[in-house]
Amino acid sequence: METNQYDNKMSEALEVATKAGYILLENGAEISRVEETMNRIAKYFGVDTGNYYVLSNGIFTTGNSRKLKKSNPNSLSEQFADVKYIPLRGSRLDKVVAVNQLSRDIEAGKHTIETADKELDTINKMPFVKNWFQILSSGIGSGFFCSIFGGGLRDCFVSTLAGLILWVFVLKVSAPHMSKLLGNMAGSFLAASFCIIAIKVGIGVSLGHTIIGAVIPLVPGVAFTIGIRDIVGEDYLAGTTRLVDACVVFFGIAMGVAAALLIFNKIFGGLEL
Amino acid sequence: MTESLDMITQTVWFQALSGYFGTIAFAILFGVPKQFYNTGGIVGAAGWTTNVVLAWYCGFSPFASNFCASIVITFLSRCFAVIKKCPVTVFRISGLLPLVPGIGIYWTIYYLISENYPKAFTTGITALKVLTAIIMGMVIVSGIPNKFFKRLFSPRRP
Repeated sequence: METNQYDNKMSEALEVATKAGYILLENGAEISRVEETMNRIAKYFGVDTGNYYVLSNGIFTTGNSRKLKKSNPNSLSEQFADVKYIPLRGSRLDKVVAVNQLSRDIEAGKHTIETADKELDTINKMPFVKNWFQILSSGIGSGFFCSIFGGGLRDCFVSTLAGLILWVFVLKVSAPHMSKLLGNMAGSFLAASFCIIAIKVGIGVSLGHTIIGAVIPLVPGVAFTIGIRDIVGEDYLAGTTRLVDACVVFFGIAMGVAAALLIFNKIFGGLEL
Repeated sequence: MTESLDMITQTVWFQALSGYFGTIAFAILFGVPKQFYNTGGIVGAAGWTTNVVLAWYCGFSPFASNFCASIVITFLSRCFAVIKKCPVTVFRISGLLPLVPGIGIYWTIYYLISENYPKAFTTGITALKVLTAIIMGMVIVSGIPNKFFKRLFSPRRP
């Protein structure tokens, strides 16, 4: 009977599959995509007894080689079990796209287990866009979103400045030194304070619109959207976890804005959204 | 600056522009690869313009306009995913950004903290309704089999 070249490599194959799943999940892919990709990779490397249970912050992988033993009686029976904890983190869609491409390449037969493993390591170390570019896009995004929420031209201008300042703060202070909740509170406090002062000086017009535009870069768009997508895909557990995670961030943002309004109301008085 | 110039932002073409550039700006922050910036922007602009036009000129409720926008966004995302051969997530996330499904929740929490309970209640209910609308739009388009999109954009047609 012809034997597959990957017969005795079940553990390696499932490890590569788990690694791919880890990168996908960490960077904001939906559950169904993670399971599908892991299954696709493992299957190509000759493992069809793998079981994958994916939560929003963990992957459980098990497999056994009983089936392989039937086709090749000389191979040893092998068991594989792995649990990976994956913290809820930001999103890097470029890595999701790269892993997706890799899994297609594997299916097309362009990779061995070793090269696939190496490729996953390179994907994991992919550089993010430059800091100045992030700051610029945060400012531009804030400005245009202020208009989406109904602000006028002057409000958009204030939001743009606030967005620039906010992202400098996020990069230099809150991302490296603060927890998620505190970082969002401090960031939105800073942005809201800037907007209040700008309105008092007379640059902006509508406080509510400028503040909502300014804090938009903090809003967890990916977590929220993927959470919805998971619920649509009937992964309720993962979906609710992500939505709750997003709500905690919203809570932080709202706290920061409310604190800024409270303090500046004591100083200036008569602030209203 | 005159009032009319200031409010130039509240015209349909400026809103479409905002949808386009706002989407691209946040696509960058979410790490969307360079080659998808333009397409993501188009999906975002299309979804948001649908929402604005339906809400302003056709008198649709937030539920109905967000529902239609969600359908437009998911449909376009799936088309572009097949054309560009990449995960549909990339376009869907970019496209849904202008609708900001979570922003209602931000307001709800804000009103709760500032003890404005009636307003917290109404914004909370509206946020839930908008969320349901977006989910329903997504469900409907997700039900279309992938074959349909593949056949739609395959180079060889029977």
